[in-house]
Amino acid sequence: MAQAKGDLPLLDRRLAIVTGKGGTGKTTVAAALARAAADRGRRVLVTEVGRDAQVPRLLDPSAPEVGYEEREIVPGIWVMRIDPFAALSEYLGLQIGMPGLVARVLQNRGFRQLMGASPGWRDLITLGKVWHLEQMVGNGRPKYDLIIVDAPATGHGMTFLDVPRVVAAAVRAGPLRQHTLAVEEMIADPERTVLIPVALAEELPTRETVALVRRVRDELSIHVDRVIVNAVHDLPFSTDLGDLDAHLARLPDSLRFESLPAPTVLARCVRYLRARWMLNQRYLAEIQQHTKLPTVTLPYLTFGVRDADDLERLARATVAEPLGETV
Amino acid sequence: MSVDARTLFERRIVVCVGCGGVGKTTISAALALEAARAGRRTLVLTIDPARRLADALGIEELGNEPRALPREALGRLGVPPEGSLSAVMLDMKRTFDELVERFSESTDARDRIMSNPIYQNVSDALAGSVEYSAMEKVFQLSEEPEYDLLVVDTPPAQHALDFLEAPQRMLEFLESRLVQLLIHPAFAAGRFGFRLFQRGAHRVFGMIEQITGMGFLEDVSEFLLAFEGMSDGFRRRALSVRELLEGPETAYVLVAGPGPESVAQSHQFLDRLEGFGIRLEGVVANRVRLWPDGAVPDAIEPTPRDLEALRDGLAREGGEGFPADAAARAAIDCAEGYAAQVRRDAAALGTLRTRVESRRRFWRAVPELDEDAHDLEALARLGRLVSESTRETA
Repeated sequence: MAQAKGDLPLLDRRLAIVTGKGGTGKTTVAAALARAAADRGRRVLVTEVGRDAQVPRLLDPSAPEVGYEEREIVPGIWVMRIDPFAALSEYLGLQIGMPGLVARVLQNRGFRQLMGASPGWRDLITLGKVWHLEQMVGNGRPKYDLIIVDAPATGHGMTFLDVPRVVAAAVRAGPLRQHTLAVEEMIADPERTVLIPVALAEELPTRETVALVRRVRDELSIHVDRVIVNAVHDLPFSTDLGDLDAHLARLPDSLRFESLPAPTVLARCVRYLRARWMLNQRYLAEIQQHTKLPTVTLPYLTFGVRDADDLERLARATVAEPLGETV
Repeated sequence: MSVDARTLFERRIVVCVGCGGVGKTTISAALALEAARAGRRTLVLTIDPARRLADALGIEELGNEPRALPREALGRLGVPPEGSLSAVMLDMKRTFDELVERFSESTDARDRIMSNPIYQNVSDALAGSVEYSAMEKVFQLSEEPEYDLLVVDTPPAQHALDFLEAPQRMLEFLESRLVQLLIHPAFAAGRFGFRLFQRGAHRVFGMIEQITGMGFLEDVSEFLLAFEGMSDGFRRRALSVRELLEGPETAYVLVAGPGPESVAQSHQFLDRLEGFGIRLEGVVANRVRLWPDGAVPDAIEPTPRDLEALRDGLAREGGEGFPADAAARAAIDCAEGYAAQVRRDAAALGTLRTRVESRRRFWRAVPELDEDAHDLEALARLGRLVSESTRETA
């Protein structure tokens, strides 16, 4: 990895690929990053890959639906949803012409299944579209300063990022090879692209994040310099009160409050919050140790992102200096 | 009327569905252990268990063969002599390969398929074959007489219920006009609309080949031709798998997480299950924060006297130098913080619970435990929590 070359502030790149296991809050992190970048005057595009776009709702609860067209949801932040077949149709239309014919063939169910079966096709075309967006210019400058990709959940593997490699092996000639090489070049350039793994400080997400980072290191040339750990519980009291729950549990039964839960209930509340905190701390340390990367932690929000203030809070945390050493 | 977990255990198959990250694997294992405790010979099929859970189940290595848990360990957990518990972790790629081997006309045909570049690249993407493989394995194991009950942890499909559609998609794929066209161009060409499509498709394929430089069409045709001989076996098999999944011997349990997003996904899940005409048995809401002592208070507001009593009690308990004032405030903060989480879970799960109970399905909220269940004892506790309260809801 080109550490020195990639030693840029997080938001100074062209492309940030946010990835992680399902349920880690990847999409929330993508939205928070977009918010942070827009706060710094950047024009940001968030691309979502799944069935429906979640980012607009996080930016503005009354946001309209978005589709394959980029749409400015709040000032400075555009969102779009990349449907692989729409991207394929656009690509083939550009390459072949005859958009009507292309559209008819692409609507055929058998064809769609064949394309779905073709290795990494959806992922390649998605990345191809991202590249296309990265290349767009307006008024003599890039149309978007930063493109954030809310990547599909890592699931079984990392096909999404493996794609250029797979295709480079299978595609021997033709325009696609040229385009694939351009996509690969974009992804491999540490000054243009950064991969941002999102984890939770719990057992399974930690294991998956460690595996992901190892594979990125060993097999892919894509810059990764931090792990964002989402929903980290804070300890709501100072550590010198460490055995507070034990003290509470030992309070005499005769102690009755007028308008406060019984001491044993208070003890349970304290124990619960401390247990979550300890669990998070343990896996946070494991993530740092096994990925050999510093971490950025986002606070656990009991009610999720409800409004602009919540998102702003996450946005600030997202771009904070990472903690821990790069080994 | 009674909605009892035991009626669940009288089925042949219990499928646990739900979105990723809700603890589906743990709940599946806990339900399986509870079934064994009810005297059933149970097999749990897991997809991707946490390492310590896998260790507890004795399935450290990935294998396609079930392993029985030791009798003594089960006995200690109250599993009667007639009950048993085995576990297997699915290797989906291998299951699919086995399927191809089984239905190939000859070893030659099999080798042609296995060595085809399309097969090598697509066997985990072809028409949802990953999901299909999981269900195929369920079907195989359901035919084995040594188990009364299979508890199935479903794959972390990107689109939640793909595994249910997998047999249908496989059938549609095999019967699709495009596949027929590629296998039997002459036969298919007889139909007028088809000819038009065929011309268009060939043209586009030709251009795709030009753009990609791949022998795409050639590989696909060859793959499908090789596949054709076995597609009949595959088709019949896919039909049987579908019948089993939709039949009365299979019960579905939805595992839901407590967060607002997870609840929204669970609603979508229920919509789709209903769309499939599948009867849901009940919902296990997992990792729910529950108030230790009845209903959660609307606010934690101590009177000045409460504060004083708490502070004095803590000062006596903590001894000299203990910051009783800070400790009292911290305890109240914690109570408020935890109460907020309890209220949040209750609010988010409320809509789901109403929906489930209005359809007379069981509803069970399992509290979040301090630690994930990593050993058999913890699984047994969890299993009891699930089945006890399903009785209570009845």
